Amino acid sequence: MNSVEFKNISKVYGKQTLLKETSFAVEAGTFTVIFGAPGCGKSVILRLLTGLEKPTSGEVFLRGENATSLSAGDRNIGYIPQSFALYPHYKVRDNIGYPLKLIGAPKSEIDDVVARTAELLRITRLLDKYPNQLSGGEKQRVAIARGIAKKTDIFIFDDPLTGLDFKLREQLFDDLRSMQETLKATFIYTTSDPLEALMLAEKIHVLDDGKVIEAGNIETVYHQPQHLRTALLLGFPKINTFDGTLEKDSKSIICKTKLFSFPVDLNQSEKSDNDQVVVAVRPQYLKLNEKPSGKSIFINANITLAEDLGGEMVIHMDADGVYLLGVERHDSFSQQEGAVEIGVANQNLMVFDAKTSRRIGQGAN
Amino acid sequence: MHKGFKTTLYHIILWIVALIFFAPVFWIILSAFKTKDQILSIPPKWFFTPTLANFVDLFTRPNVGTYIRNSLLISAIAVLIALVVSFLAAYAFSRFKLKSTSLIMFFLLSIRMVPAAASVIPVFLMYVALGWKDTYPGMTLFYAMFSIPFSVWILKGFVDGVSERFDETGLVNGGSRLHVLFDVVLPQVRPGLVAAFIFNMVFVWNEYMFNYIIGGKTTTTVPVALVTWMLNQGGVDWTFMASLTVVFMIPPILAVYFFQKYLLIGMTFGTVRGEI
Repeated sequence: MNSVEFKNISKVYGKQTLLKETSFAVEAGTFTVIFGAPGCGKSVILRLLTGLEKPTSGEVFLRGENATSLSAGDRNIGYIPQSFALYPHYKVRDNIGYPLKLIGAPKSEIDDVVARTAELLRITRLLDKYPNQLSGGEKQRVAIARGIAKKTDIFIFDDPLTGLDFKLREQLFDDLRSMQETLKATFIYTTSDPLEALMLAEKIHVLDDGKVIEAGNIETVYHQPQHLRTALLLGFPKINTFDGTLEKDSKSIICKTKLFSFPVDLNQSEKSDNDQVVVAVRPQYLKLNEKPSGKSIFINANITLAEDLGGEMVIHMDADGVYLLGVERHDSFSQQEGAVEIGVANQNLMVFDAKTSRRIGQGAN
Repeated sequence: MHKGFKTTLYHIILWIVALIFFAPVFWIILSAFKTKDQILSIPPKWFFTPTLANFVDLFTRPNVGTYIRNSLLISAIAVLIALVVSFLAAYAFSRFKLKSTSLIMFFLLSIRMVPAAASVIPVFLMYVALGWKDTYPGMTLFYAMFSIPFSVWILKGFVDGVSERFDETGLVNGGSRLHVLFDVVLPQVRPGLVAAFIFNMVFVWNEYMFNYIIGGKTTTTVPVALVTWMLNQGGVDWTFMASLTVVFMIPPILAVYFFQKYLLIGMTFGTVRGEI
């Protein structure tokens, strides 16, 4: 069953169209990340979902029922806003119990839920403090606790970990994942950070320019993106791209770029000759001074910078004016500069239509 | 060394200016404890045996208690009404961002830009026509109306400072707008409410002209009583004037003393709230 479904939703503010007839569904009981660059409309989706805003056109379905005209309070959604929005005049205990108090739950039940939630998030010792006595990370834990104290099956997280340091975020990633598994509820989480998306998501919806351009299991979307924007946005370091053209001869289709050519397996057969395409390959698939398995292409390049990230190194390279990024393990690669030969297995070359940005094929083996 | 001298000079000048402004007040306070002859003697008497006779005389006069009670009741109730209306208005201006918000806000304040003398006649005619002249509701509503613009300005600054995410958290969790207004936003703008209360209270407390024109025997407040009684024996009743003024000054002085920091907020429309 779908927990949430958007049908042809548009949202217009004045002259600005933030969502353009977008449709998508979130499966019940999944950890779903809505991912997109800052300002692409993620927050608007959440606001439409919570009922804080109404769509200009289209329909919102919650738990299989049309909820478009339901007010925010009637949608029964747990909400963790980006800014913590902890009530400064309430103690932590009362902040967490707030959603239950609003629905008139008995005090014993509130106390019980507050105690359990606080334990889950390891903030029991903070219960009698006021929000202004807490650190940023503690505040966020309290905000999450307040969000999940609510008795419901849909929880929404509006990019809640921005501004926290990396260690805190990592801890909270684990907590969020295990909480989702315990509660078996639908978690909808927005972020513009590709690493956060990759670490948290079970399902991912990629939002670009007011539309969900791609959705699915995180592994599939990451390894086999069907849209160039997905490939560009999701991943670190940034994916390498090359402009190319498709040329057809009697037996096969060849893709030619400035640096290399390779045979292509097309997903759609209607593509004709000389189509403009974009070839993309993740930095992880660039093999430096190493022969990849299977049919491969080779590029000669010069290292311009080797960035040491501890466990791995990001290698910046220049190949005849084309800028390339590669990733190597720290212990198996030590070259800091000079010429390298880059090998890429054909199957790791993804081909996108330059006009529609849709995936049309990949390198043939 | 040089900087120290500058600071000292600065403080001396501040003290001189403050003393010049305080001189008339000081004279009134001294006079309240003098006999009539001592008040008028030239050169002024600096050393004298203080007397409380003026205060005894003040409170044996008819109606003095009524005037003080009128002043207290009318100003307090008027300002409370104004605060309720202004808080709701400030919330609306802050959250439902109309395109014309700044224009309406300007119009509101422009009421206070018209000289009182220019608006007193039309207000008088309206009050006579409505039968509100010299009634408590009439006086109270008038002062409430006069206190609203300024309060809206102060409170809007404060409500703007409360993130809308607070409202949204309340709404998503099933709270009503009223819940958001009074349980979520109001507790966070208390300093603004106190500031608006004190500031308008002081204004209404001192107001003379409107009470003189649209008030009357029943609703006379202290400023009007002061003028009418001071002059009603063909000369100036100095001891009455001095003693009533001293009594009249006590509430504002106490209020200003205890709520100084809020007054500062009032004068700056809430822009210094970070220091509270």
